[in-house]
Amino acid sequence: MKKVQFKSYYSQYFFLAPQLLILLIFLYWPIIQTFKDAFTMQDAFGFGSQFAGFDNFLFVFSDPSYFTAFKFTIIYSFVITLITGSIGLLLAVQANKVLHGKNVYKTLLIWPYAIAPAVVGVMANYFFSERYGLLHHLFNNLWGFNWYEDVFDAYIYVIIAGSWKQISANFIFFLAGLQAIQKTVIEASIIDCKSNIRRFWTITFPLLMPTTFFLIIINITYAFFDTFGIIDTTTIGAPGSETKTLVYKAYIDGFKGLDLGSAGAQSIMMMIIVLFITIFQFRYIEGKIHYN
Amino acid sequence: MKKLISIFVLLVSFAFTSNSYSKTEIHWWYGNSGFLGDVIIEIANRFNDSQDEYMVIPTGKGSYEDNMAATIAAFRAGDQPHYSQVYDAGAAIMVAQVKNGVVIGFEEMAEKYGIDVDADNYIPGIKNFYADGDGKMIGVPFNSSTCLMYANMDILNEVGIEEVPKTYEEFEGMAQKILDAGYIPLLQSHSPWIWTENFFSRHNLLMTDGNNGYDDVPTKTLFADTEAFVYHWTKVKEWYEKGYYGYKGRAWGDNQAPFTNGEAAFWFGSAASFGGMKGVLPNFTTNPIPYWDSVTGGKEYPTFIGGAANWILNGHTEEEYKGLAKFIEFMGSPEMDLYYHNMTGYAAVTKGGIELAETINFYRASPYHKAVGDQLGLEGSTIPGGYRAGNWPQIREVIYENVEPMLNGDISVEKALGNMDKGAAKLLKQFAKTL
Repeated sequence: MKKVQFKSYYSQYFFLAPQLLILLIFLYWPIIQTFKDAFTMQDAFGFGSQFAGFDNFLFVFSDPSYFTAFKFTIIYSFVITLITGSIGLLLAVQANKVLHGKNVYKTLLIWPYAIAPAVVGVMANYFFSERYGLLHHLFNNLWGFNWYEDVFDAYIYVIIAGSWKQISANFIFFLAGLQAIQKTVIEASIIDCKSNIRRFWTITFPLLMPTTFFLIIINITYAFFDTFGIIDTTTIGAPGSETKTLVYKAYIDGFKGLDLGSAGAQSIMMMIIVLFITIFQFRYIEGKIHYN
Repeated sequence: MKKLISIFVLLVSFAFTSNSYSKTEIHWWYGNSGFLGDVIIEIANRFNDSQDEYMVIPTGKGSYEDNMAATIAAFRAGDQPHYSQVYDAGAAIMVAQVKNGVVIGFEEMAEKYGIDVDADNYIPGIKNFYADGDGKMIGVPFNSSTCLMYANMDILNEVGIEEVPKTYEEFEGMAQKILDAGYIPLLQSHSPWIWTENFFSRHNLLMTDGNNGYDDVPTKTLFADTEAFVYHWTKVKEWYEKGYYGYKGRAWGDNQAPFTNGEAAFWFGSAASFGGMKGVLPNFTTNPIPYWDSVTGGKEYPTFIGGAANWILNGHTEEEYKGLAKFIEFMGSPEMDLYYHNMTGYAAVTKGGIELAETINFYRASPYHKAVGDQLGLEGSTIPGGYRAGNWPQIREVIYENVEPMLNGDISVEKALGNMDKGAAKLLKQFAKTL
């Protein structure tokens, strides 16, 4: 094979420039600004700016609602990952078995993925409205549902709102994963084992591990960052600050409260958390997965 | 080639047409939406039609918070509007920005460009709310409301109540009757604004140290230290448990909806709230907000001004400020003041506007409009007419965060108010560092 070589040293930089420029402007520059905000104390208009050391971080750590948000974000991402993953998998396995009208099922199950989180939130708003909400009335008849004050009920509200759309994403990837499994493997396993369920857990599911791993990361990232629109259009963090995600709290403090120092410190904390989650996943979980 | 030429010709002609209409543009950003936003556009249109040198371009930025954030972001980018509507909770931040050259005070502007509206023409309570420590008016009063009590008279007639309650004691006495008839006795739409800030003003009590921040930069709120305030929330919690008071979350509209639908007897909202109710709810009245007789000894005190003011931002040309001065003059005229009062239900903010209303017997024609002026016009307060406390938007958030667990019984009233004080003290300290 012949290697392509550039004659000039400059042309490669020329072709790289647009990409680098975009990264620089939209990624690195904001990150630098965030660091600047996090380590300075300034008023809303940017005056009186002075180096504050770790004051902003100490301020964040002494705020009980920050830990509430932390707790909620962990619970939220865990539950959403679990729910969307398992329902997505169940639907994918079932849809994969369908012989007639396969495409209709597929298309219908994929649709919700195209809806923006804020719109999902507004729709959930209708379902959970005290006045005309279907789900509100259902839960209310079951146990006296009141998300205005009950933390558990508020969790149910945002978890249902947050999961619905993401189930579609999980469905697509699991379905693709299932279809990538070679027919011969499945056929061979049918001869060895009669039980559908056992076959699934011993043959199919291990073969889906790369997809599952990928989806866990995607789902956690989704629950961390993309649910902003859902929280903002449903509970706005109530009751108390029990349903604020870390992103939502940083937004409230930075944009509504106009405290950029605290918001910057929170953003850096978030960066560190995501870094740790990613390292943990690649270190301890990925090692147990066998790609082909 | 022909195509290119024709496009070029088209562009040039566009440039010329817009040039021939060229007026000095004045940008006005606001944080109202829906009907209130439409009225703002109408005001700008009327001004634009009244002369042909200047053109005011109003731009809605969403909510009050959104507009404030947008204005700040624009200022930091060097692209700020001339005039921006900032709400009560942001007043301390805006007043503090005069020394940084972000905001131009009204009186300085009036002196320089000869605005024919004197600061003293604005009614004192409203003027003082947007003034600095020396009493110089900085923000230009605009939509000024306060919290009022709306009463559904059909429900009251049905259960045989003849008089709307003046005090919380009276309300407490009639709540059971209303509840028994199957209605929600009481709802309110904004716990920090109505039942915190204006609880203090209505009862002539100081809310923060430093004389509500007018004398010194405040370092703490006096929530748990104020016996009457603890008593009030203990009662509210009791009412909530008995069903006298219904809590429908933080959203303004969710708390208002049952009242508008005729399911609740009383609702506390803004003076500007009746627009959406007229013609929907057949028989309602607007009344002053109740007070605790046991706290004030039967005396009534005025509440704080709610709503927003317009603030003049620095960094534009002489010519543009001349136009803005004309616009401020236009908005301060008795006719425009009364027009706005009539359309929205916000208080008339100028003495001229109030006089005009009386001359034409306006309140006989529309009694809904009267309560706001009556309540704001009360006299005898010994506390300042507002509060100068920074980071207040976040302190409101802290208040909300503690009201909910208090109502559902997770924490006691004392603990909740103590938490509010603690959270507020931290935020006030943080703000003091940036001064």
